[in-house]
Amino acid sequence: MISISSILSTRLGLILLLLCLVPLATAYLDQGDYLLRICSTAYLYMLLALGLNVVTGFTGLLDLGYVGFYLIGGYTAGLLMARLGWSYWVALPVAAIHGGIWGLLRGAPTLRLTGDYFAIVTFGFSELLFRIVKNEEWLIGGPNGFVNDIPAPTLFGHELWQYWQQYYHILILLILTLLVVHRLHNSRIGRAWKAISQDEEAAQTMGINLHEYKSLAFAISAAIGAIGGAFFAQFQVNISAGVFEFWESILILCMIVLGGIGTLKGALIGAAILGSLGEVLRIVLSGVRLPADSRYLIFGVILVLMMRFRPAGILHSTQKYP
Amino acid sequence: MTLFLEQIINGLVLGGIYALIAVGYTMVYGVIQLINFAHGEIFMFGAYFAFLCLVVLKFPLWLAVLASILLCALMGVVIDLIAYRPLRNAPRLSALITAIGISLILQNMARMIWGAEPRRDLANAKSDFLSQTVIIPGGAQLSYLDLSIIILAILLMVGLNRLISLTRIGKAMRACAQDKMAASLMGIDTNRIIGATFAIGSALGAVAGIMVGMRETIEPTMGYYKGVAAFAAAVLGGIGNITGAMLGGVVLGIAEVLGAGYISSGYRVAISYILMILVIVFRPAGLLGRASAKRS
Amino acid sequence: MKQRILIETDPHQVLYRLGTGHICSALRSSLVLLLIFSAAFLPTAQEAEAAKTIKVAVAGPFTGSVAAFGEMIKKGAQLRAKEINGNGGINGKELELIFEDDTGKDKEASLVATRIASNKKILAVVGHFNSSCSLAGKPIYKRSRIVELSPGSTNVNVCKGSDYTFRNLYRDDFQGSFSAKYIKGVLTDVKTVAVFFDNDDYGRGLRDSFKQSAEKIGLAIVADEAYDRDATDYKAQLTKIKFANPDLIFIAGLYSQAGLILSQARESGITAQFFGADGVDSPKLLEIAGEAANGIYITTPFIFGLEGNEEAQRVATAFEQEFGKAPDTWAALTYDAVGMIVEAIEKKGESRKAIRDHLGSLTSPEKGYQGITGLTYFDENGDCLKPAYVKQVVKGKFVAAEVQFLD
Repeated sequence: MISISSILSTRLGLILLLLCLVPLATAYLDQGDYLLRICSTAYLYMLLALGLNVVTGFTGLLDLGYVGFYLIGGYTAGLLMARLGWSYWVALPVAAIHGGIWGLLRGAPTLRLTGDYFAIVTFGFSELLFRIVKNEEWLIGGPNGFVNDIPAPTLFGHELWQYWQQYYHILILLILTLLVVHRLHNSRIGRAWKAISQDEEAAQTMGINLHEYKSLAFAISAAIGAIGGAFFAQFQVNISAGVFEFWESILILCMIVLGGIGTLKGALIGAAILGSLGEVLRIVLSGVRLPADSRYLIFGVILVLMMRFRPAGILHSTQKYP
Repeated sequence: MTLFLEQIINGLVLGGIYALIAVGYTMVYGVIQLINFAHGEIFMFGAYFAFLCLVVLKFPLWLAVLASILLCALMGVVIDLIAYRPLRNAPRLSALITAIGISLILQNMARMIWGAEPRRDLANAKSDFLSQTVIIPGGAQLSYLDLSIIILAILLMVGLNRLISLTRIGKAMRACAQDKMAASLMGIDTNRIIGATFAIGSALGAVAGIMVGMRETIEPTMGYYKGVAAFAAAVLGGIGNITGAMLGGVVLGIAEVLGAGYISSGYRVAISYILMILVIVFRPAGLLGRASAKRS
Repeated sequence: MKQRILIETDPHQVLYRLGTGHICSALRSSLVLLLIFSAAFLPTAQEAEAAKTIKVAVAGPFTGSVAAFGEMIKKGAQLRAKEINGNGGINGKELELIFEDDTGKDKEASLVATRIASNKKILAVVGHFNSSCSLAGKPIYKRSRIVELSPGSTNVNVCKGSDYTFRNLYRDDFQGSFSAKYIKGVLTDVKTVAVFFDNDDYGRGLRDSFKQSAEKIGLAIVADEAYDRDATDYKAQLTKIKFANPDLIFIAGLYSQAGLILSQARESGITAQFFGADGVDSPKLLEIAGEAANGIYITTPFIFGLEGNEEAQRVATAFEQEFGKAPDTWAALTYDAVGMIVEAIEKKGESRKAIRDHLGSLTSPEKGYQGITGLTYFDENGDCLKPAYVKQVVKGKFVAAEVQFLD
């Protein structure tokens, strides 16, 4: 029989327990909330990295506009909750489905094109969304796409806005996403994706329907991004166009590159490092009196060095490409 | 009518600038199939180098401009040398990510060195002559600066075309763009040609940067905004096709200005993205590109 | 042959089948990394030491395209802190200002706000400056019940809906209608007006109120164009405005873009009179626009050098001594804002709630706070009524306009 103690005796159980205890530990620190916030942000980035990994890592198509789905999720959930008063538990799946649909739509015209064109379209698509949100006040109801006062989800009458509640919230979302992505990876679908990423024509010859599998990847990747966006909207209480700039896509790309493209472990580690590194660097840099934005310079250096010396990711010592 | 004419002229000026930058993107893509994200930043450095020479080193304007062009050409070559060349045989993704990394480094370096606030030093330095305006037939008014931008852009484009089609090095570039392996078998030093491509593209980008610095302002994000629009122009014209880039630049410039003037000022920049996506979806080869842009 | 179906009950096996090996090591690695980074934040020893200071955050655009505002805010706050600490501090404890940079963007402001709000040691926030930033911070501060006192946000919605947001300067509905009335009443040659506004909360809000008032009192609006703070080529919109032939162009935006607009406008042959609002009020405007700035009128919440205000004069002198340059409007407002927070702590106590309660009690002129920028007291939203002044740029310098329009 599966009992709590037997789960705990496994490594996974132990890790989960430790992660769950973090808020208890931080309750005694003055900056405990701040720490929880950093952890939550790191978990959010891990979730997004998993999502991007589906298209760019598993299927080998460079997605330069992942932030577009983050945006769709954020605004769908944000508008539904702030303007229409919907509950988060309804808004979240709606946002995910909405994102997935756009993932399909965006990918559809590119199914026949080379990877470069796909990259360009993804880039243009996310920038276009960004511009629309920034300028269409009638749609968003605020200049620069500003949506304010997005309420946190309520459970049994309590609004889950506290930092420790948000921590568990995103942790659960992350674990669920991890399970889903992992199962997909180790299934026929995952293997088909891998075949597509290695050689599309050969894959087709083997009977893999490219359009179907690519579209599936697009949809799932987008849905995960949208989930991340929906969480972010209620976490940050307000969103604006500025959050969903092109550089955010690059940041997430950096994360999976750093950890090792195509691997789950890599995506998580890369995201954990860069997601929290952002805050650490910000503090270090403002201590040295440099503009906080210059952490992007460090990201740039990381990208260049990684591609030059460790293209397979930080964990692999080989210089060979994956 | 006069309003329309003036807007067309505004569009031509912007188009000329876009064309100069777009050519850099398209040339590099033609030879090494890389979308050089850092190109926008080189354009930005063109303006900043000129500012540096002018204000800090106290060069006369003409010398500052010349120095800036040379420095940017050098910069382009160096970036290729240290960042892209080691990845010549790597998957395209690696080179692309490296380009993004370089772009991040350059943009933030500029921000850290010179601050994020816009600078008018180049604009203030241009002589009063350039600021004077002239009335052309049709009643439209344009400044000598705008006029020189249009003329200079046309001259440079024609010059570039001559270079590509009539000179030995231009032939070598075309050969490399067609098939690098065969070109090297023919005795062409592909690495040198690629370096030359970067140099020329960067030099033109620097010119554009100086123009924008004189006409508008200098700030660290100018490379990103103008660069993306210019890239859209390159795609519009058919990426890899130099004449296409020039055409795309002009079309985009005019479309942006007319769009802002007659439709909605909030959408100036979105027009580039819309056009880019439409082109890719309906005519991926671009206006002048090769007909086959399918899976390679 | 029929396959027997085995039901696995050993948890190890179950989890293995679920494929948790990978997940496991991945989570483990990420946990390790997280803990390492978190360890960087355990200066608990330091915290105990620092309990002797009272922390107040100052949030503003210290870098970015409106850094000149941030610089003045910072210096104004620093001067006040220096004076207070020189006089024995607050209840014997030193005032420690914590500066957080929001770069003038609402996205960054949200991050800054969560950072400040989650630090229980910070008792109040002086900030933000940009209206969009204050709006972004508002619900976050409200959730964590910490006061946000803005020395620079003028959008009408900044204080609405939150008991924790206050400001010590006027609102844009007042500023917009004041500008319109001033133009109508003082600049009598002006019959037609064009509006060129920044496409964000501040610019839009100001343009809306200006336009409303202008139409009511009979000023004709002949052009109404938006600009994007990121775009630096305004020629297309300026050409359109030029052809509408306005007598006056009202710029609802910030100094960096306004400076560029002024230069580009003069270059394209526009000869109209310019009028700006508080967002344009910075010495940097003169640097950027150069000669093109001459003649522009600006509404502002405060002017140094007006008669009768000796305290302001004293502060201005002290400021120049300390920092080597003259203070501007924003330094003055921040100086007062810090003073108000400190007074709240002294009178009501060292907690977030105490500060909120004190500020909330300043509901009438008698109870108001007398600072160098005038008398500040709040209405039920947290807004305050203070007069607007008018400046003009004459020969490259800001001077008080000849005619002030004080009701």
